[in-house]
Amino acid sequence: MTPVAGSVSLSLALGFGLIAVLTLFIYTKNQDQRLFFVGQRLALGVSFFVFLATFILSYQLMISNFDIDYVARYTSIETPTIYKISALWAGQSGSLLFWLFILSIFSTITILQNQQKHYSLIPWVIISLTITQIFFLILTNYVTNPFKPTEADFIVANGNGLNPLLQNITMAIHPPTLYLGYVGFSVPFAFAISALINRDTSPLWIQSIRRWTLVAWLFLSMGIILGGWWAYQELGWGGYWAWDPVENASLMPWLTATAFIHSIIIQEKKDMLRLWNMVLIILTFALCIFGTFLTRSGVMSSVHSFTESSLGPIFLSFVFFILIASFGIMYSRLDDLKSPKKIESFTSRESGFLFNNMIFVVLCFAVFWGTLFPVISEAVRGYKITVGAPFFNQINTPIGLILLGLTGIGPLLAWRRTGTKNLIRKFTLPIIICFISIILFLLIGYKGYVVISFSLCIFVTTAILSEFYLGIRVRKNKFDESLHNALINMISKNRSRYGGYIVHLGIVFMFVGFTGHAFDREKEFSLQIGQVEHLAGYEFELLDLSESERPNHYAWISKIKVTDYQGQFITNLYPEKRVYFHNNPDVNRRQPHSELDIYSTLNKDIYSIFSSIDNQKQIAFLKIMINPLVRWVWIGGYILVFGTLIALWPRKEE
Amino acid sequence: MDILRDYGLIFISFVLSIIYVIEPLFMSKLVDTYDSENHKSLNRKKIMLYRQVKELEMEFDIGNINNKDFTKMRIELKKEVSAIIAQLKLK
Repeated sequence: MTPVAGSVSLSLALGFGLIAVLTLFIYTKNQDQRLFFVGQRLALGVSFFVFLATFILSYQLMISNFDIDYVARYTSIETPTIYKISALWAGQSGSLLFWLFILSIFSTITILQNQQKHYSLIPWVIISLTITQIFFLILTNYVTNPFKPTEADFIVANGNGLNPLLQNITMAIHPPTLYLGYVGFSVPFAFAISALINRDTSPLWIQSIRRWTLVAWLFLSMGIILGGWWAYQELGWGGYWAWDPVENASLMPWLTATAFIHSIIIQEKKDMLRLWNMVLIILTFALCIFGTFLTRSGVMSSVHSFTESSLGPIFLSFVFFILIASFGIMYSRLDDLKSPKKIESFTSRESGFLFNNMIFVVLCFAVFWGTLFPVISEAVRGYKITVGAPFFNQINTPIGLILLGLTGIGPLLAWRRTGTKNLIRKFTLPIIICFISIILFLLIGYKGYVVISFSLCIFVTTAILSEFYLGIRVRKNKFDESLHNALINMISKNRSRYGGYIVHLGIVFMFVGFTGHAFDREKEFSLQIGQVEHLAGYEFELLDLSESERPNHYAWISKIKVTDYQGQFITNLYPEKRVYFHNNPDVNRRQPHSELDIYSTLNKDIYSIFSSIDNQKQIAFLKIMINPLVRWVWIGGYILVFGTLIALWPRKEE
Repeated sequence: MDILRDYGLIFISFVLSIIYVIEPLFMSKLVDTYDSENHKSLNRKKIMLYRQVKELEMEFDIGNINNKDFTKMRIELKKEVSAIIAQLKLK
């Protein structure tokens, strides 16, 4: 397949998209079902041509057709096959096509899934999804076409190759996962807009999108965690979260989406918060597009690069279009969005959920402000005022801890109102255990946020486990079940509830990991073979330095023996110093890279970085970090995924 | 040759897509199915309410709701279910 076929496919998709929107719009006016089917099929046609274009670009990457600029920029003959595939989302135009590809998958599933139901909602759902597709099709057709030919008056024999930092298996998985999350919210957003237009704001539309929302949230969460994992494994600064604008771009929709997931429970069960839920899903989707804008516009490096690239203004215009159009429709439907019921008591689960929503939105605003402040300051004052990690940590740590506390308080509150007697009965045990833990942590010598965080983790865990205990006890008494059966049946019959509790446990694990950061230690030193250094009770001895030439890089490998303070052998670490594209005659195009090695336990990680080497004197320049409790973050991630899978697993009647 | 083959392939894809897309236009005018949709949504609402009754019973068994609130909320939910069942019977 030639690149021309790819370009033509994208053009055809755009044409089909425009006609689909027009046809479905006419259908909403004259209600001729034939037009609905034509519009539906046109929308499927859009997805078909997008699939074709994506397949063609992937094929061109695989066969290294350097006549295409994108292929020449992001792959080379030496690039391993897996990274040739992942090069599809390595650059701007490819990643936009990939966004479109995922959106087309979701659009196709939505159309096929709802062929026999939601007749009144589906036309506007398809219109909304197709408008988003059209936006990305305009970008890939006219602004940054992935099939653009290479601008060279000679035959390009080899490409630039993929950035070494992206040649990591996590990086091959992380962007698709994140995109699945970003794009996934297009579907609940489309249903929300359709419900608004159709004045169908009862809890039923919420039911149609509950699973979609959870799936999108799951992928977004996995994408964020995998991004942290990649940064920790690959970037070599010893952390997993730096409050970088691109990281923040994924966190912001996650925060509003998490608020949405909680508040739709209230709408589903109590028919409250109709307006609030609309606001949250519109914000979430707008933030997903905004996140892609932040990543792709270049605005974060400088406001000047924003104006230099035509992508930035177009993206920003689309974000404004979404906000103005959505809030405009919402404003015109305010009467339909009035909830028939009101929150009855401050000590109810409803008010707990609402409070948690407020905190999520405040947290999102804090991240939004901190992320955009450098851009705003540069635009207003002419110079950039950088907002670093200390700002985010100072603002977000207390807010995050309040959220953690609410994670434990929420499950203990009853729907409608919690009586004083009940309040005392439910809170006594978690509070007593929490106080005992505070005293113990203070006696150990912990201070400030560390004590608060660890104690809250214990409070939340006790609260959740007591809910499990009560549920099991009820089933054992009522149905005479064994402990094992009672647990399984209880979870299986209340999947959202107990899946949610398991997700909360995952969050607790992650907070334990975050708190461990307070105890980080690090040291930089140089060693010759046989020399030793000490850090945090460990001894590091350089045993060997070796070299190896591999297909796409050259590596110097150090062998470091780690022993504890008693002389007990712990492990050998093998951090590497690599040079990618080492065969390139142009020295400037060779790329050095430190491939680190980590010894990970539940208690702490020993993190080793091979910074550089003096070949003549055989000296290795190393950096060692002791990072306590990092593994808890990843375990928390697994628990979160497990809990979400339970929550979204379909029931028999579904 | 490659270009000719690809244009041929794209042309065939385009023609087949167009045939698939315009096919419904040759059907006779279709009737709305809102009635059956309404029936389905009522059924969904009924299932949702049954689920809420079960969850309420569990909350009560666990001790999250007192007897007075439980009885009141249960009656409210059952009234809603009865109303939906009545509507379903009418259809």
